[in-house]
Amino acid sequence: MDVASRPDVTCTLEKAGQELQSLLLDSRAEIERVGKDFEELAHRIDAILDLAAGVIGCVEDERVSSILPKVQTLGMEAKKFIQQRLLASGGILEIVTTEAKSLGHLSQLTRSQRSIARETQMLSVLTNIEVARLGESGAGFEYLAHQLDDFSQSVARDTKELTGHTDARKTEIEETRRMLGIEEPRMREEFSRIEADLGDALAAVNRGLTELSGTPARFRSCVEEISGQIAGVVAAVQANDITRQQLEHVCEALRLISAEIRDGSGREPAAEYSLSRISAGLAIQIYQLRSVRETVDDWVSQIRNCMGGILKISSFEIERIGPVVLDQEKDLAQQLARIDAIEQECQINTKKVEKTFVALSTLMQLVSEHLDKSRVIRDRLQVLTFNSIIEASHLGTQADAILEISQSIKRISALWSEMTEQSGKAKEEILNLVEQARKGIDLGSETGKNGLQEAQVETRTGLENLRAAAAFSSKQAVEIEARIRELKAKIAAAGSVGDRLDACFAQIDTVLKEIEELKSRFKSDSPGVLDSHELAEVEAKLSPFYTTEIEREVMRAALSGAPLPVAEKIMAGNDVELF
Amino acid sequence: MKQILTVDDSSSIRQMVSFTLSKAGYQVAEAVDGKDGLTKAGQQKYDLIITDLNMPNMDGIQMITALRKLPGYGFTPILMLTTESQNEKKDAGRKAGATGWIVKPFKADQLIVVLQKLVK
Repeated sequence: MDVASRPDVTCTLEKAGQELQSLLLDSRAEIERVGKDFEELAHRIDAILDLAAGVIGCVEDERVSSILPKVQTLGMEAKKFIQQRLLASGGILEIVTTEAKSLGHLSQLTRSQRSIARETQMLSVLTNIEVARLGESGAGFEYLAHQLDDFSQSVARDTKELTGHTDARKTEIEETRRMLGIEEPRMREEFSRIEADLGDALAAVNRGLTELSGTPARFRSCVEEISGQIAGVVAAVQANDITRQQLEHVCEALRLISAEIRDGSGREPAAEYSLSRISAGLAIQIYQLRSVRETVDDWVSQIRNCMGGILKISSFEIERIGPVVLDQEKDLAQQLARIDAIEQECQINTKKVEKTFVALSTLMQLVSEHLDKSRVIRDRLQVLTFNSIIEASHLGTQADAILEISQSIKRISALWSEMTEQSGKAKEEILNLVEQARKGIDLGSETGKNGLQEAQVETRTGLENLRAAAAFSSKQAVEIEARIRELKAKIAAAGSVGDRLDACFAQIDTVLKEIEELKSRFKSDSPGVLDSHELAEVEAKLSPFYTTEIEREVMRAALSGAPLPVAEKIMAGNDVELF
Repeated sequence: MKQILTVDDSSSIRQMVSFTLSKAGYQVAEAVDGKDGLTKAGQQKYDLIITDLNMPNMDGIQMITALRKLPGYGFTPILMLTTESQNEKKDAGRKAGATGWIVKPFKADQLIVVLQKLVK
């Protein structure tokens, strides 16, 4: 009895067929479960994507998407503002130094005026003495003595007042100069630090907002990626249908081989022919099972990768969308608060400078009044000089002393005129300083501030919009996080789809081993090889079974002893061919 | 909403067709073989039918032939979704009245594009 007639061979074939049938039943149930799990996963993902799309809608809203240019403008304005502050503080120090010099001139001037006042007082005394000596004829000079007295008292009073103010101002200006001397480099350093910090902070906000503005594109790419992964699972689940048919065909072939063995047993002349056909049939089934194994491995790994990919994209990309908006709102609010603080700090410095300006204006007023008075005195001195000389000439030699006094008054008048001119120059100097200070303060306060304030208002409006988006995103983010948590829990509870499918299809290996062992027994008992006529007959008999091109290719390879054809990758799926 | 009928003896294929088309906004009904498909098509008018070729009780070609005789199905687009790729089979499908042919597995996005063209 040859090997093909042994009952254990048909038993083995029937057992293998039953095992494959059982595998088909199990795998059908398992793939249905996978399909359901996948559908649920896809629905959950859809819900998560809908929530994330809400956040993206907010980010894409013009009110939020226009924040980036606003922040960039704010950065530029803040920088300009700080630079103007630096320029203004440098200018004010210069003004204060010049003012100190002008005050020095004024002090010198008031000292000279005080000395003239003393001299005039002496002249007044001398005139009175002369009036007494001349008696009745000197009565006309009483007025001169009185005027000189009045003049000296007035000058003493004015110079005292101006000296008081200049001295006070000198102390003040020294203090300001000292303060600015210390403050200015510190301020300069501080402003440079603020400028650098602000630059870093705004660059961070810029980066954040750029990241935020890129979120919609990233989201769309995630949606596309998830869609690709879902399509991958859809294709892989369909591929199961191909392997299901292949396995059904193997079962059918094993049943036919078994029937042929039964029919051929005991018929000696047919045994050898039958044996070769049985051997070829088994070889084909081994090839088919190997091909199925490869295809199953391929689509199971595709399902595993795609489902893992969906979860990964959801966890790492989608979950991040909400927090990105929240982070940006926080960053921007922080930086705006910082710019506010910088502005306030600058405001304090401006106030100090403004105080200097007010004091300078008061001084300017005093010098101006003093100059007016000096001019009046200069005119009075000129009239007095003229009148006293005329009067003294009338009296002739009796009034030599008075004439001498008149000459002194003339000299004093000339000196006074010169000093009045100097006072005028001092007034011009201080007037220039006042102008410079005003410009400095304007530069440091209003001009630069306007641009900054406008940018701040714009950014604040942007922040409000971002805040509204952040509040919405925060709600969505909580929901997204919860949904992803549920999704993970669901997947963990269901176990690994890939592992489940692997376990289910592992039975193919057992069946394959059984048939391979059987085939090797056939080979050792009868290494019969089919001739071309028999090959064609086997191919013709088995071809109608096969409903896929890969099955037919595998069969041909098995019959010719060629290597197993590589199954096409199924990830992409096939196009529709319209007739 | 456009009505689609998917006819396949494999539940996983029906599931994937339903899933893909429902996501795209179609209403999808399922039939387990040609006979079931024919019955369902007689009960309700579908805008498009996607059918397998090899099925128990009645195969896809037989079903299409019968469908084309049903009132209202003379020009309804019918796509065959099968593992078969042989030209002889495609010819048989075309002769029976199929509108197009897809070798399993289908490409989801492309199937939707084609459906949008066929079902307006």
